[in-house]
Amino acid sequence: MRCNVCIMPGETNHDSLQEKRWLTALNEGDTRALGGIYELYGERIFRYTFRMLGNRSDAEDITAETFLRVLRRSGELRADGAFRTWLFRIARNLCIDKMRQHKLMELPPDASIAGTEEKSTLRITVQQALSELPTEYREPLVLCDLEEMAAREAAEVLKISVPALKSRLYRGRRALRDKLGGTQE
Amino acid sequence: MNNIYDKLVDMYAGQELAEDLNAELEAVASTNPALKSDMTSLRATVTRLQSDDDGAYTDETHARILMKLYARAGELQTGAPEPIYLQYQLPMSG
Repeated sequence: MRCNVCIMPGETNHDSLQEKRWLTALNEGDTRALGGIYELYGERIFRYTFRMLGNRSDAEDITAETFLRVLRRSGELRADGAFRTWLFRIARNLCIDKMRQHKLMELPPDASIAGTEEKSTLRITVQQALSELPTEYREPLVLCDLEEMAAREAAEVLKISVPALKSRLYRGRRALRDKLGGTQE
Repeated sequence: MNNIYDKLVDMYAGQELAEDLNAELEAVASTNPALKSDMTSLRATVTRLQSDDDGAYTDETHARILMKLYARAGELQTGAPEPIYLQYQLPMSG
């Protein structure tokens, strides 16, 4: 297996070395390494799927499924800097499938995240605003503004050009501002 | 995008501008209320989005996902046994 280490934006050298270590172990058949890979990326993938779906239970399922795909494809994995992009792409495809299912079944977004604290109220409002945005605007906002992913990597995840990503981000930020307009602090 | 200011405001909101350009844009905005309002509200939107992020991933979330992951991974590894015709090598012909 080729294991060139390439540091991605928002990632430390330590993370990159860890990624290489776990991917090498998984590639050699050590399935325990899946836990290590999950520790590196699990939280980010969950946050991404939660923001995309607005439903905690679905986000947990999709996150678990994303890492299961890693296990299934463990023989093909390479720690060459593209792993994280690949991981987000899998999560994205699974989210799109889930959104299609919801559309067919007309399921409402998760109401169980409601709380009484001020911060919870703020979170619901932002999440609701995000949920109301078209997917093509929501995706760049989540990847670039929430996950702080570089434009180039986010464009790779979404399979679009960097200018197209920036254009969507531009429109998405303004659309979100309009949605939040009445409650802007 | 309509004009260069729109692009600059967008970069300002995302805090992607270099320090000198940032200061220059703020100076221009100080004499242009519409621009200032656009800049302030868009940056507030991005900041609000970013500050809204923490707390969604709890210890319970972590534990539930790992349980789901290991349960499904276990199914994957201890799934249906290999069919009988794959368990033994066929005699070579010829």
